[in-house]
Amino acid sequence: MSEYVIEMNHIRKEFPGIVANDDITLQLKKGEIHALLGENGAGKSTLMSVLFGLYQPEAGEIKKDGKVVKIDNPNDATALGIGMVHQHFKLIDVFTVLDNIILGAETTGALGFLKKKEAREKVIALSEKYGLKVDVDAKVEDITVGRQQRVEILKMLYRDNDILIFDEPTAVLTPQEIDELMEIMRGFAKEGKSILFITHKLNEIMAVSDRVTVLRKGKYVGTVNTKDTNKQELSNMMVGRPVQLEIHKKPAEPKETVLKVEGLTVPSKIHKNNAVNNVSFEVHAGEILCIAGIDGNGQTELIYGITGLEKASAGKITLLGHDISNASIRKRAMTGMSHIPEDRHKHGLVLGYTLEQNLVLQKYREPRFQNHGFIKFDEVRKYSEKLIKDFDVRSGQGPITIARSMSGGNQQKAIIARELDRDEPLLVAVQPTRGLDVGAIEHIHAQIVNERDKGHAVLLVSLELDEVLGLSDRILVIYEGEIVGEVDPKQTTPEELGLYMSGAKRQGKEAE
Amino acid sequence: MPRLEPGTGKTKWYKTDGAVAVYSALISILIGMAVGAIIVVVVGLLKSNITPAGIWEGVRLVFLGVFSTGRNGSALSFGFNAVNLGNMLFRAVPLIMTGLSVAVAFKTGLFNIGAAGQYLMGTMGTLTVGLWLGWAGVPTFVAWLCAFLAGVILGGLWGAIPGLFKAFLNINEVITCIMTNWIAANLVTWWFDAHEAFKNSAEGGKVGYIIPLKNVGVVTPKMLMNVIFPGSQANGGFWIAVIIAIAMWVMMTKTTFGYELRACGSNRHAAKYAGINDKKNIILSMAIAGCLAAAGASLYYLSGNTEFYWSTYQKLPAEGFNGIPVALLAANHPIGVIFSGIFMSMLNISGLQLKYLTAYNEYISDIIIAVIVYLSAFSMLFKTVLSKKIRKGTGGNVNDEPAPAENKGAAGAAVSQAAATAEAVSGPAESSLEEAIDKIGESPDIVSAETEEGGEK
Repeated sequence: MSEYVIEMNHIRKEFPGIVANDDITLQLKKGEIHALLGENGAGKSTLMSVLFGLYQPEAGEIKKDGKVVKIDNPNDATALGIGMVHQHFKLIDVFTVLDNIILGAETTGALGFLKKKEAREKVIALSEKYGLKVDVDAKVEDITVGRQQRVEILKMLYRDNDILIFDEPTAVLTPQEIDELMEIMRGFAKEGKSILFITHKLNEIMAVSDRVTVLRKGKYVGTVNTKDTNKQELSNMMVGRPVQLEIHKKPAEPKETVLKVEGLTVPSKIHKNNAVNNVSFEVHAGEILCIAGIDGNGQTELIYGITGLEKASAGKITLLGHDISNASIRKRAMTGMSHIPEDRHKHGLVLGYTLEQNLVLQKYREPRFQNHGFIKFDEVRKYSEKLIKDFDVRSGQGPITIARSMSGGNQQKAIIARELDRDEPLLVAVQPTRGLDVGAIEHIHAQIVNERDKGHAVLLVSLELDEVLGLSDRILVIYEGEIVGEVDPKQTTPEELGLYMSGAKRQGKEAE
Repeated sequence: MPRLEPGTGKTKWYKTDGAVAVYSALISILIGMAVGAIIVVVVGLLKSNITPAGIWEGVRLVFLGVFSTGRNGSALSFGFNAVNLGNMLFRAVPLIMTGLSVAVAFKTGLFNIGAAGQYLMGTMGTLTVGLWLGWAGVPTFVAWLCAFLAGVILGGLWGAIPGLFKAFLNINEVITCIMTNWIAANLVTWWFDAHEAFKNSAEGGKVGYIIPLKNVGVVTPKMLMNVIFPGSQANGGFWIAVIIAIAMWVMMTKTTFGYELRACGSNRHAAKYAGINDKKNIILSMAIAGCLAAAGASLYYLSGNTEFYWSTYQKLPAEGFNGIPVALLAANHPIGVIFSGIFMSMLNISGLQLKYLTAYNEYISDIIIAVIVYLSAFSMLFKTVLSKKIRKGTGGNVNDEPAPAENKGAAGAAVSQAAATAEAVSGPAESSLEEAIDKIGESPDIVSAETEEGGEK
């Protein structure tokens, strides 16, 4: 019996124009949590897709318990006990939790009728055993993203998988859910299950993993024991140069009010109450104001209301002295607002368009890019090549790459390039570093601070406490659609922030 | 990770996406025609009145019908047939226009299966205004232009209705298109039924037709078509259709308006985020689609000879639905639509040749079209497979981190579009298939319901 349950030796996987995995070796011990660390585009997902049978490698071998195996498709992987929770869940929204779990592994009785009762008992037993609480009869579309992830985990357990791959599982979770997930993962490891954990978040690696394998630009950098390393060393390995983990910035010099929000109320699309209820605040030139809070407390709707993506039912919004409460989206943008949207696939990009077409999404009507309604293609090309260079947006074919085929991190960089280059007095940035790696985060944080130092106002929405505390000059905490507190990042602690975010503490209430 | 520098990823012209789209369309066409030939053979073997020599004639006509010059003694002769080729172009006009209608709508993310209704509204507008102005003695050119515009505008307004429902009430345009199709069919029937003046009672033996526009002299000029294809029905309408197709291509790819339309089609949310008025664009896009389909009808009836059978409430014009395979074969490319429209019309001509020269009837060509419609679903598949084969080792479009799930999603969407199309068209296609099987081998005296082939009388 080999020491390793899974060995991937000298794996090479090519795509037209690039080598996504170049001679990569990954060895997974039984009962360990093994983190796979790398920047966007380092080849982590490709390597896992090879293990899961989605891609065939050009070279290299995969061993299970010391024996060479061939994994042609996900069914082979499942047969070998390999399960995967994908970054984007593979669930059917209108099916119940139970139906989703048994889908593809249904047990049937005579005449092919489903034996749902047995399945249900097994699922409930599993969920109790591992503390994966979830309502098996709820429809997937009605449960939170965190619960959906549990469904994905239960799917693996239901299939008796003992090698569990988690592809960036924390990207969509709240801090509390992340803690719970870590606990669940530790439980699995204790049981003897082996876990491969793809991430680029160093905190999580330090918290939960036993060993770390680092990839960089498709190449193997090394494998280290977590207890023998630290965050700085790991990020240097990952990026290939020393990385600034701390955000360095001068003290803010707030000037005149740029954005004034008074009594803004936005109805919710999910429930009957208002998603945003009577919110008022001001953002000044030369400061970064952060709206902190746990996901789903009205941040999205607040930004929709300010940018015009959704109609506010009450309240007044003033941008640079102009009342834009009822203005169209374009009017608001032209008054002086750029917007890095929360959902890059829904709002940020036209995925079917090329990179250059996306880069002029906010500017195509300017005389610089059109003449009597005819697009000036060479101007668009010149402009996009400049942005691609300035912001290091990487893609297979440069300006003519279809946005859909770009990696998530580079898609985000493209959006940020487009919005920052507009140079508007107000920048609304919603989770600007979501899904990005350390190197890119460093770059974007520097850009946002730079915006502030230019005298622009920045309204930031972030779920990452590190980002909230490190980047902002002033923090407003939102809880259930209301601003429950304003704190100074220099004086507050993550614990205090956590109390506000969970609704346990509230400013003004005590004073009343 | 090694990455191609911009510029080195250039692909040869025969390896581009466009070329691959053409190959896959050609594959669908070839398979479709091969199936047509097989049906000719099978039917020939089953029917006692068709000899092996007759089967061979049928097969040749399926492929080369448009070049048939009739019979030389007892053998079929082939060569340049000005009448056939001209009629092919003439009949291509409505197909090109409805094809454009479907293609432009699809590029903006809308599935226009309302081309049939828009076509009917265009027919009504053009015939009504053309006849009125003709009777009033308005100068021919002015009358022509007004008749054409009347049809186009009416069709555009009709097309805008599903757009309005989609934009403001988020009702799927497919449903409203189907409903407006039948509303149009009944509306047109009612309009002509209520106005006796339009009915053609002057020519003996004809019931249910509207007076052709040539009777009042409101006719599209030939524009050299009579020189190139003497004796055929071809007229300047074909040039107009080609110009409109090119204009559509320019509009969709070169202008900010097209950029906005396609952005809405590709991702309505992102378009909205960028300040594009998505509602306005959805309505406009459907209105343009309606204008195009109606323009097909206008040009068809403005040729003068064509007669409209007004009691249309039980039957939608086939041109409306045939626009869908025309657009699909062209991969929704406006210029490609010109060629796929001509090809579809060539099949019609081949069908007529079968009818006139052999014991078969023209419905064979409907079967071929039906097969191609079904295969156009596969044409997406061919495209994916071909581009994989061709791209291997050359300039890549896969990126740093490939997104397999999304790519699959896109392919899936394409297939489902094609499947939906097949479903939508299957009604008429299947019925004509049954008809065809019934009628194969019967005496070839079936009169086309709507048209009279002037050149071949």
